[in-house]
Amino acid sequence: MIRPLKTAIGVLLTAVMLFPVYWMINVSFTRDTDMRASPPHLFPVHGTLEGYRAVLDQQLPYLGTSLIVGLGTVLLTVALSAPAGYSLAKLRPRGGGVLSFVLLIAQMIPGIIMAMGFYATYLKLGVLNSTAGLILADSTIAVPFGVLIFTAFMSGIPGELLAAAVVDGAGPLRTFWSVVLPVSRNAVVTVSLFAFLWAWSDFVFATTLDGGGAHQPITLGIYHYIGNNNQQWNAIMATAVIASIPATLLLIVAQRYVAAGVTAGAVKD
Amino acid sequence: MTVTHDVPARSEVASAAPERAPARRNRQLAAWAFLAPIVVYLFAFYAYPLYRNLDLSLRNYTVRSFVRGDAPFSGLANYTKVFHDPTFGPALLHTVVFTGVSLVFQFSIGMALAVFFAQSFRLSATLRALFLVPWLLPLIVSASTWSWLLNSDSGVVNAALHAAGVEPVNWLTSPQWALTSVIIANIWIGIPFNLVVLYSGLRAVPAEIYEAAALDGATGWATFRRITFPLLRPVSAITLLLGLVYTLKVFDIIWIMTKGGPTDASTTFATWSYRLSFGNLLPAFGPGAAVGNLLIIMALIFGLLYIRIQRRQQP
Amino acid sequence: MKLSRQALGAVAALTVAACLSTACSNDDNSGSSDAAGGTYTIWDPYPQFDDSSDWVKLLQKCGTDAGVTVKRTGYDTTDLTNKALLAAQQSNSPDVLIVDNPVVSTLAEAGVLTSTDETKLDTSAVEPNLLAAGQSGGKTYGVPIGANTLALYYNKKVLDAAKVDPAAIKDWASLTAALAKVTAAGKKGITFSAIGTEEGSFQFLPWFWGSGAQLTQLDSPQAVSALTLWTDWLKQKYAPNSVLNNTQTTSWQEFATGDYAFAENGTWQLANAQKAGFAYGIIAIPSSAGGTAPAPTGGEFVTAPVQSDTKRYPASTKLISCLTSADNAYTTDTTLSYIAATDAVQAKQVAATPDLKVWVDAVKAAKGRTSDDLGTKYPKISEPLWTAFQAALSGSKSPQDALAAAQSTAAAATR
Repeated sequence: MIRPLKTAIGVLLTAVMLFPVYWMINVSFTRDTDMRASPPHLFPVHGTLEGYRAVLDQQLPYLGTSLIVGLGTVLLTVALSAPAGYSLAKLRPRGGGVLSFVLLIAQMIPGIIMAMGFYATYLKLGVLNSTAGLILADSTIAVPFGVLIFTAFMSGIPGELLAAAVVDGAGPLRTFWSVVLPVSRNAVVTVSLFAFLWAWSDFVFATTLDGGGAHQPITLGIYHYIGNNNQQWNAIMATAVIASIPATLLLIVAQRYVAAGVTAGAVKD
Repeated sequence: MTVTHDVPARSEVASAAPERAPARRNRQLAAWAFLAPIVVYLFAFYAYPLYRNLDLSLRNYTVRSFVRGDAPFSGLANYTKVFHDPTFGPALLHTVVFTGVSLVFQFSIGMALAVFFAQSFRLSATLRALFLVPWLLPLIVSASTWSWLLNSDSGVVNAALHAAGVEPVNWLTSPQWALTSVIIANIWIGIPFNLVVLYSGLRAVPAEIYEAAALDGATGWATFRRITFPLLRPVSAITLLLGLVYTLKVFDIIWIMTKGGPTDASTTFATWSYRLSFGNLLPAFGPGAAVGNLLIIMALIFGLLYIRIQRRQQP
Repeated sequence: MKLSRQALGAVAALTVAACLSTACSNDDNSGSSDAAGGTYTIWDPYPQFDDSSDWVKLLQKCGTDAGVTVKRTGYDTTDLTNKALLAAQQSNSPDVLIVDNPVVSTLAEAGVLTSTDETKLDTSAVEPNLLAAGQSGGKTYGVPIGANTLALYYNKKVLDAAKVDPAAIKDWASLTAALAKVTAAGKKGITFSAIGTEEGSFQFLPWFWGSGAQLTQLDSPQAVSALTLWTDWLKQKYAPNSVLNNTQTTSWQEFATGDYAFAENGTWQLANAQKAGFAYGIIAIPSSAGGTAPAPTGGEFVTAPVQSDTKRYPASTKLISCLTSADNAYTTDTTLSYIAATDAVQAKQVAATPDLKVWVDAVKAAKGRTSDDLGTKYPKISEPLWTAFQAALSGSKSPQDALAAAQSTAAAATR
């Protein structure tokens, strides 16, 4: 197939996939009275900016908090899962298989149950309604997955590389920091991406553990427009649109690194 | 790719000098030192909620005893109640159908897209990144958007069907179509994850293998079937397993789109558990936790299956 | 290779800096001047109001008057019950809790709320039919902040075009005839919310009670006639299929397109009605035989959860009295588009806006969902009820079978 044709097909596929996103943007510009027009308007003919005005007035602090929580979660997740992945992949601890299995089970617990369990602990520790507490909670979504990815990737690091470091007199910590991590750049980016996205769109932990906080993420900020009797749909969609922009930019930048090597070693054995 | 890491690569064992006991002990110590943070973390963050959920399911909780904390132990009564509930059968069936169909389509579409985007052409990187946008959206937004698209009267899907001369379908409000509608939305949300992981797996296949195949005269579909797919088996396995675990937990999408209705037509274990514990005016935490635990057990069974298949595939 | 370490380092530094500047840790001690009496927490179900709104300013003012600092959080109303239960379990209840009226008896039963005996709140001026929702076992557990109820909004233009006189609609037969005329004239009949949640039950109750049925017997012939009314409307296409998934908001949005003749909706839509862009009117929901059907009361109660330190109650009581005082109630109810809970303030509302008389009359005729001493039995009856009309409207069961199933479930649950 010739290249321009492939690009065209690619664009078409993306357009089909993103049609609901287009609809979301469409609704964000729609007036309340046109929301349920039948047949629906494919294009917001009598557009309104009131949704966006409301969002820009009120939601920016929430976006800031979401950003901080996202970045914090990334840091914590990588810090916790990279050493574990290295150990399971290269240092072959006895009982490593059991640990892998436990990590698998850990992902099966529904979020709401985790949140309810954390509530009591957080209250006692005094970290309820705090950003740090939320970061800690959001990391539980990503850490088991992170260990999985790091283990898979680091298994593929050639033994000679590590042997060379040992010959040079490096202990396990030094080897990890100076040799393994730099080589695992792609895995770090992949895990960071997943951790950021999961923290960005988390709602359950945010509402249970930071519901009363002074700094709340965007998923709670949306509830501004979900009143007890009335919902402002154009503002809700506008919030989602604006919240997606920084995350999309991050995605496009990070995509390059996510590419090769995440599951290196998959085909080598 | 090994996920259970207790089988060392042959080459490494052969090339290392035979270890003496102190060296081996040192290495084990180092290994567990690296694992120490995660073990503490696992214990602190996962053990307690799991215990709490188990406790909730084994006691007879009313709202009063939930607040007081003095609920009497009731053994497996909540589980019995759940088994005998008329919703149990439909919920089980829907959970299996929802998960199975979602996985099949998410995986196939993800794989097809991964293969397509593995060829590099203009804009392929950007388009690939754009495919992840559904993932960025808070679930309340994506689920609500799908609700709007599928609305019986003002949804664009029915408008399109009408324009094409087809009878409009009550996507979200008829018992026949409710489950299909939430499956479609779930597939849409699951494609990005499959795309990313499978794509990375594809990129790890060395180009030489494809060249060798091309030299032998293999073309498109044959290359995929005989070479690409078998090489991707480990990646596919982990994608499917994780997909299964994540899909079993899905409830936001269904809850926002149909609330599990009408009349349980789209109720799965996840939504049923939520409905029992939080979705009505009088919370029934015991049965809700019991259903939640059943879900975890289901996921566990598949996890064990996966490990067994993995072990059998080790040379 | 160096990029990843540098990048990580940069991100780390950024996050730490950001954290320090925005105080990542617990934000409870805001550091601003605490009034002598300490900090009192208020939870309400109005997340649409932020700190610059009149509602929050009112809370702060009441706090100052009571000599305390108020810390307020708005939660999603469907979530608030669970949050309240979880908080009570951990002895972390707020000092003042504003909740939707049907859950007051649930929270009271859970031992989360104090009764007016303990807090010495004065509820003598409150209309009895509105107070009933917060009473169980002879005790009162809170004060209504205001009330709202349901009525039929109509689109004057659509009705005129179909030559329907709204004033002539007094019973079900005349309503259905009107819908037939409107549909024949090319417009759409009526929209409401029949969603499988408490909102749906709320919308079904005027028809249910208007048929003469009682919540203690869901499968009586009257109840079946009420459900048949709805299913017939759907069959004749007088009501759209989307009612099965409509919330009251989306039902209103359908009405706001101008295509519908009638919408069953509540007092709180008044502000939206004025923005609708077409002439509208309101009639009471008719009962089957003629006259106004009893509609359920909506609206929140202001309650005082149990605290381990009982010395906090006097200040909480002052806060609640301040919130529900005549002047403050007038302002709050006008903002929320509710009707006041006391006769005096209702008169004031009507004096200021004569159009509200219809609503005041509707509220006076309204009935609490948990009244008739149903209390915590109501949720166990409401869920089978909404399951029943969802089943009937989606065609899986006949109205008779659906309600029979509902009755057996409800009877078993409330035994």
